[in-house]
Amino acid sequence: MFDFSVITCWIDNLLRVEWGLPDFWTLAIEFVLVGVALLTAYALIALVLIYAERKICGFFQCRIGPNRVGKWGLLQVVADMIKILTKEIIPIKRSDKFLFLMAPFFVIIGSILTFAALPFGLGLQAIDFNIGVVYILAVSSLGVIGILLAGWSSNNKYSLIGAIRSGAQLVSYELSAGLSLMVAVVLAGTMQLSEIVEAQSDLWFIFKGGIFAFVAFVIYLIAGHAETNRGPFDLAEAESELTAGYHTEYSGITFGFYYVAEYTNLFIVAAIATTMFLGGWMPLHIPGFDAFNAVMDYIPTPIWFFGKCAFCIFMALWVRWSYPRLRIDQLLKLEWKVLMPITLVNLAAVAVAVTM
Amino acid sequence: MIENLKQRVLTLCPSAKMMGEYEESKMLTIEVPNENWHELAVSLRNEKDLQFDYLQDIIGVDDEGRLGIICRLFSTTYAQTPLVVHVWTDGRECPELLSVSDVWNSANLYEREVYDYFGIRFVNHPDMRRLFLRPDWVGYPLRKDYDMESNPLVLKNEPVADFERSERLELDSNGRIKESSFQLFDDKEYVVSFGPQHPSTHGVLQLRVSLKGETVQRIDPNFGYIHRGIEKMCEEYTYPQILHLTERLDYLSAAINRHGMCLLCEKALQMEVPERAVYIRTIFDELTRIASHLLGWASMCNDMGAITAFIYGMRDREKIMDIFEETTGGRLFTSYSVIGGVSQDIHPNFQKRVKDFLPYMRKMLREYHTLFTNNPIARQRMTSAGHLNKATAIAYGVTGPSGRASGWHNDVRKIEPYAAYSKVNFNEVTDTVGGSFERYYVRLDEILESLAIIEQLVDNIPEGDYKAKTKAIIKLPEGEFFERVENARGDFGIYVNSHGDKSPYRIKFRSPSMALVSALDPIVKGEKIADLIMIGGSLDYVIPCIDR
Amino acid sequence: MKSFYLYIKELFEGICNLILGLKISMMNFLRPKVTEQYPENRKTAQHFDRFRARLVMPHNEKNEHKCIACGICEMNCPNGTIQVLSSMVEDPETGRKKKVLDKYIYDLGTCTFCNMCVTSCPHKAIAWSQDFEQAVFDRDRLYCQLNAEGSHVESKTIPTPKTEGKQNTSTVNGQES
Repeated sequence: MFDFSVITCWIDNLLRVEWGLPDFWTLAIEFVLVGVALLTAYALIALVLIYAERKICGFFQCRIGPNRVGKWGLLQVVADMIKILTKEIIPIKRSDKFLFLMAPFFVIIGSILTFAALPFGLGLQAIDFNIGVVYILAVSSLGVIGILLAGWSSNNKYSLIGAIRSGAQLVSYELSAGLSLMVAVVLAGTMQLSEIVEAQSDLWFIFKGGIFAFVAFVIYLIAGHAETNRGPFDLAEAESELTAGYHTEYSGITFGFYYVAEYTNLFIVAAIATTMFLGGWMPLHIPGFDAFNAVMDYIPTPIWFFGKCAFCIFMALWVRWSYPRLRIDQLLKLEWKVLMPITLVNLAAVAVAVTM
Repeated sequence: MIENLKQRVLTLCPSAKMMGEYEESKMLTIEVPNENWHELAVSLRNEKDLQFDYLQDIIGVDDEGRLGIICRLFSTTYAQTPLVVHVWTDGRECPELLSVSDVWNSANLYEREVYDYFGIRFVNHPDMRRLFLRPDWVGYPLRKDYDMESNPLVLKNEPVADFERSERLELDSNGRIKESSFQLFDDKEYVVSFGPQHPSTHGVLQLRVSLKGETVQRIDPNFGYIHRGIEKMCEEYTYPQILHLTERLDYLSAAINRHGMCLLCEKALQMEVPERAVYIRTIFDELTRIASHLLGWASMCNDMGAITAFIYGMRDREKIMDIFEETTGGRLFTSYSVIGGVSQDIHPNFQKRVKDFLPYMRKMLREYHTLFTNNPIARQRMTSAGHLNKATAIAYGVTGPSGRASGWHNDVRKIEPYAAYSKVNFNEVTDTVGGSFERYYVRLDEILESLAIIEQLVDNIPEGDYKAKTKAIIKLPEGEFFERVENARGDFGIYVNSHGDKSPYRIKFRSPSMALVSALDPIVKGEKIADLIMIGGSLDYVIPCIDR
Repeated sequence: MKSFYLYIKELFEGICNLILGLKISMMNFLRPKVTEQYPENRKTAQHFDRFRARLVMPHNEKNEHKCIACGICEMNCPNGTIQVLSSMVEDPETGRKKKVLDKYIYDLGTCTFCNMCVTSCPHKAIAWSQDFEQAVFDRDRLYCQLNAEGSHVESKTIPTPKTEGKQNTSTVNGQES
């Protein structure tokens, strides 16, 4: 397995020893580099996901999807982004201008902060907290503030209804999402993401943890999916009911922020599920099959990571393009009467199983 | 039987006058003075042996200087002779009639329409507003003395009033009319406007919805955004020209509407239509019905957020559109039925294509059921909201699949079989619960029945002419003609008053969609916003049919 | 206990039906796609021979059409789409005056494709074309003259259907007045 920390250490060495920069400047340059790398990854992932969603959605609907701009429509998303950047931001009469413009930033910052703690590959992790799981849960739910602010400040009744729905939805699903991740934490015995991945080096939790891990994985996918406000949980947006829900009044790049954040949130949910249950960047290792394990190690770790993410994302898209939208009471019933009890029983069972 | 009814009506209202040769036309036409009209209406509705509970339509007329209304009544309990009631106003200056909206709920919108077009005000009507035209419209356009120049096109931007006012006329104890006006929605109500531009109002319909949280309190439909004045246009058009306007009413049942208008003309002219044309028309009607139900299914799924199902419905509807295009040259507007038959013979490929389509559609229906009907999210949503009981359905005149889902046997194809429907075996699909799920399911089951009808007909199309010879200029004999056909949304009625010219003196189309929208208010009261949209989808109304 | 059993049963039935639904969408994912690749499939695309794209007046190789300018189509058109401009010309052989078509103007922009002009034409002088690509940049270009420049009515049409055509015109005119 290639350790990407070789590259990062070389850069650090170059700055400190070869160029002899003081600590402050070394760190400053490194922060900028990490920031640029993450932002680039952020934008690229959003672009790829938008393309993938449109293509896959097309295939589910017996269509071909975008196929006009560039070969197989590959440049369609780029063209759309250029369009969004050049569009006018329409000011809304009697809206709260300050909050209205601030709301998209909350949404986007929430998802960018999560990127910092994700292990993309061996040695490809910006910050490795000892409470990484809690950090990720905390920052990824910042987005709801952006959505509530958008609904409140837009001076639009549709937006307000959408935002209130979203508030109820995110607050409830945060519980199942967090509790189902705790199953992996119990199995690994740590909250540090790198160590959780390391703990799956013999076999991924989804296989090792048996039925408990599988249930927790499925519930996390459902709850996480609900947190991204995407169908069948897109009540906050609810195109056929509320036209566009909380972002009805946004245009141009402010709308673009919501658009991009939606897709990166989709990726983040897949990435967290991957890290916690599918072994993150860890190649498939089966105890006893040493030759097989060695072959698997030749595949670079980021490919493992993104491959597993792609699998989770495909599942999400498959569900999204098959099911109708839930109603608000069904949504809350699903959380409080189905997912929550199952998660709690599951967590208790896995705790008992691990201690015994 | 007709004689019994005549005697019965005369005992209830001695001042009623019998009109016309009712023996032939199989309906009883009476004329009632305004003072007795409301009283008679109550007895007609409530007397045990009469029970005229279905008010099909109220038609405003301006006949030779007299303004009045024509009400068409049916009984759903007894196979009664339909009753046609004429009520005339006193003069043209301040025409007033007693409202019957407290007797039949469906009269509410019909009377507003009559007010809009003829300026007849209805006393005791709860909400006397214009229905289609703007509140500041000058004059009443369907009166014969209407000045076409009185409403120039407004091209400047106008502010929209948040709180519309409406009028009410009440009869006080002294028999004097008291006018009052009131505000439609309270200042404190949270009113959200759905439409006219909205993803799921199925056209340009505005629904003003008073909300309390997510729960709908009250709903006020606002029509007229696609009003084209088709009935006024028809007064200038010849009968063959009118046909192409009937297609543009309910564009999803275009062929059926056109068929209805052809039937009316043929009946009035006492013309014999070749058997071949009758069969072809029936097959086309049923194909149209399938296409319409498919789109209804698809858009209901889309309303509930299942966009993929929407595309599947559109994909399979495309097959029918291709069949239409090959034989008629048109896709949505086939322009196929003409007075006396069909405009051209079927294409040599027609039968083969139709027979290929039948098994394909059956297979796809099974897929629809697995994908959407059995989906627990969809099922729970549909079964838990939008109940319409039989009595309300009849009172609001909710016909078609939506009415049948409530247990009302109202299929015109069964009650008054026209075309080849008496020669085929098919079931009238009904349910008793009347929820959104039943409306949804009846529609899908009707596709199966339509497939069965087509299967019985497609191989047995008789040889012969496809069109009877007609005169170059078609003039209907003098008189009043009624016709109704079962289009994809229900009872599509046509009324023609002919003065013997090549154009009708007055024509009126009964829109089944308008009854569906009027029933929206009792159905959605207390439901969630999401259900409002879903119930709209399950009723499957088409707006151009309402606005005309 | 019974309600708990029902809860579990409902849960599993729900999950089963959800998975069956996923199966249907996956089947459609793998099926051939129905999208028509329009500009690319121009050559192979299926056109039905009865499709009504726009009105045309067929001319034979001698630049002759069949229109005798009777104006029935113009009268039958509900939208005023057709304008038949004609003039009276004296026939040099017989010396009788007869109607000759000058211009047959068709406004594609107001046409509703109701088929009444074609079915009512006594000489089958007009027909529908199948070339559906009728988009233009200027509304004025939707006005088309259907008779070709310098064309005249087919010589053999005149003797036989002349009477019939004349009859038709007269009845129509009679009704009009």
